[in-house]
Amino acid sequence: MSSASKRSVLRSSELSCPSCVRVIERALRALAGVTHAEVFVSTGRIEVFHDPERVATADLVAAVRAVGYRAAPALV
Amino acid sequence: MTLRSPLLPVLVAGTLIVFAWLGLASGPVRDAALLAAAVVAGAGVAHRASLALRRGHVGIEALVALAALGAVAIGEYWEAAAVTFLFGLGHMLEARAMGRTRRAVAELLDLLPDHVRVLRGDAEVDVDPSEVRAGDLVVVRPGERVPVDGRVERGRAAVDESTLTGESMPVDKGPGDAVATGASAHGYLEVRAEAVGADTTLARVVHLVEAAQEARPARQRAIERFARFYTPAVVLASALAFALTRDAHIALTLLVIACPGALVIATPIALVAGIGRSARDGVLIKGGDALERFARTAVIAFDKTGTLTLGRPRASDVVLAGGEAFEVPPDALERTLDPGALRLVALAARAETGSEHPLALALRTAAGTPVGARPDQVESVSGGGARATVDGSRVAVGSPRFLAEAGVRLAAGDLAALDALRARGRTVAGVARGGRFEGWIGFADAVRPHAAEAIAALRSLGARRLVMLTGDHALAAAAVADELGIDDVRAGLLPGDKATHVAELGALGGVVAMVGDGVNDAPALARADVGVAMGVAGTRVALEAAPVALMRDDLRALAAALATAQRTMRVVRQNLAIALGTVAILAVGVLAGHVHMALGMLVHQVSVLLVVLNAVRLTRAQAGSSAAGALAGSSGASASHQTRTRSATASGSLS
Repeated sequence: MSSASKRSVLRSSELSCPSCVRVIERALRALAGVTHAEVFVSTGRIEVFHDPERVATADLVAAVRAVGYRAAPALV
Repeated sequence: MTLRSPLLPVLVAGTLIVFAWLGLASGPVRDAALLAAAVVAGAGVAHRASLALRRGHVGIEALVALAALGAVAIGEYWEAAAVTFLFGLGHMLEARAMGRTRRAVAELLDLLPDHVRVLRGDAEVDVDPSEVRAGDLVVVRPGERVPVDGRVERGRAAVDESTLTGESMPVDKGPGDAVATGASAHGYLEVRAEAVGADTTLARVVHLVEAAQEARPARQRAIERFARFYTPAVVLASALAFALTRDAHIALTLLVIACPGALVIATPIALVAGIGRSARDGVLIKGGDALERFARTAVIAFDKTGTLTLGRPRASDVVLAGGEAFEVPPDALERTLDPGALRLVALAARAETGSEHPLALALRTAAGTPVGARPDQVESVSGGGARATVDGSRVAVGSPRFLAEAGVRLAAGDLAALDALRARGRTVAGVARGGRFEGWIGFADAVRPHAAEAIAALRSLGARRLVMLTGDHALAAAAVADELGIDDVRAGLLPGDKATHVAELGALGGVVAMVGDGVNDAPALARADVGVAMGVAGTRVALEAAPVALMRDDLRALAAALATAQRTMRVVRQNLAIALGTVAILAVGVLAGHVHMALGMLVHQVSVLLVVLNAVRLTRAQAGSSAAGALAGSSGASASHQTRTRSATASGSLS
């Protein structure tokens, strides 16, 4: 995708209904600098490809929180 | 915006509802209490609904909020309170239960370090795990977990890798030994980092487990397509119902049941739990499709050497030309072995100097002392043996066929001795000097501890045909097969033949699993319906490639994983039955006018909870298998500890 793309993983223990998936994905994709965002409800994993210059990991966490879910950045 | 625990509003709303129903309040007070309950429980729902709506998504929260508002509008305060309260309570319980199905991966993630102590010069520096690089020297204190994959540079410690491999006995590690992230060290170690962060085996395992849990089988994708169409269809039906009947009750009740919750999560929740459970037992199953096929395994083909046996042959017997036979004691070789037999072993070892073949290693171990200078004109013949000039005479060492082809004459008595060795499961090499036969050396490769037990367990789990594939001689293979209870032996195979035999077995019908070493047996593994790679904790390629990967060399782990896969498929079928049954009952009930909003929400939430809790059962270790697993850990590890010591002696004697 983008040459300045970084893969970040967030984890949330609050994802339970599959309906939250699309809300979170849309919130993340709406951020400028995010090229790809995917939410896996079965593992609680949120995978984001983004340009770290334009969107920091903290911004991703904030975006998820703004739609009502707590998530934290993870090493893997 | 605050995100408090969902518990508080649910508790408050619940109390208000109880108050309203206890008859302590009547008339307007009761209605006020129920309305308050609806507001308290519904505020969070409405909040999330609006967040989603602002992003153009009509979520389940929007439907519930709309239903509650509608109920209030028509004066049904009880329905509004009950729907929002049950939705909140159900959600909370579901989130907790789902958290338990993810526990396996959470436990693995807990093994990752929070901080790492790196040696910079003479100083220890605490750094964030993301700042450690390959090549750094990392300090591990007693009781700590190893934070990187690497090699011990200084120090000595018993290292427990049970969390990664399921192997519960600690292994002694010192300079030069590899250690893995997540293992706990009972001593001080300095470790040179080779892989860090997302490149460690632990991180790869976490990734593979999660990728497996996230992969949706074809059936699940169909269900999700159905769900995407189901929700708007029910909302439309609700609008239609209201337009036609002017009955707000039916319309609102339809809204409540519009989320096909139980149906959507029925399969993935069971797969997450089952794959997670299996990973904790040291077996990676790569996704729902692999698990489904694995659970139906009817035929299992095993590689012999290294899979059913330890793969570490030992020179166990010597029969000199003329028939004089000796057993080679496992230890203290020189003192107890007959000098004539020892001379034969030393001669063979010398001819095989420089070879890395397992049998050559076994010969050097048995010969004990350094065997002397490298002989002249060593020539190894692939798959057969070696010729060399030792002390001026031509020596040939190799398979009986190799000797025969080399023109060595074998007496009837020598051939009888050969068959007798093979009948005892020995792999046999012959030695000739100057064209004259000198004697046989038999090699024993011990059957893995508990292999017979595991084979019996696999059979009782429905594997109706168990097959051994080996390059060994038929007699030797049959002896091992008898010991293990395997009835179908295909011996004398060339490396490429195994894949052909796997394909033939597949043509006979039934799901065929092939168990072997992930590297050498890769073609046969790929041809099977389910490839099972063994002992892959160290080899990344095998870990990634095989649909099923055993993290430790214990066939009982395979039996446990097969049992888990079968239990998982049972839970999937039960869950689908629960979910479809619920949808059918609700649809009929609502249209017949027997189900109102509160009951509809109750049935809906109970069905979701049932499906999740049914899956949570899978996360528990099976009573029987966990006890066996613990036992396997201790005895298996002590065996491998012994072999470690022995191989250390062997390498010592070589140098």
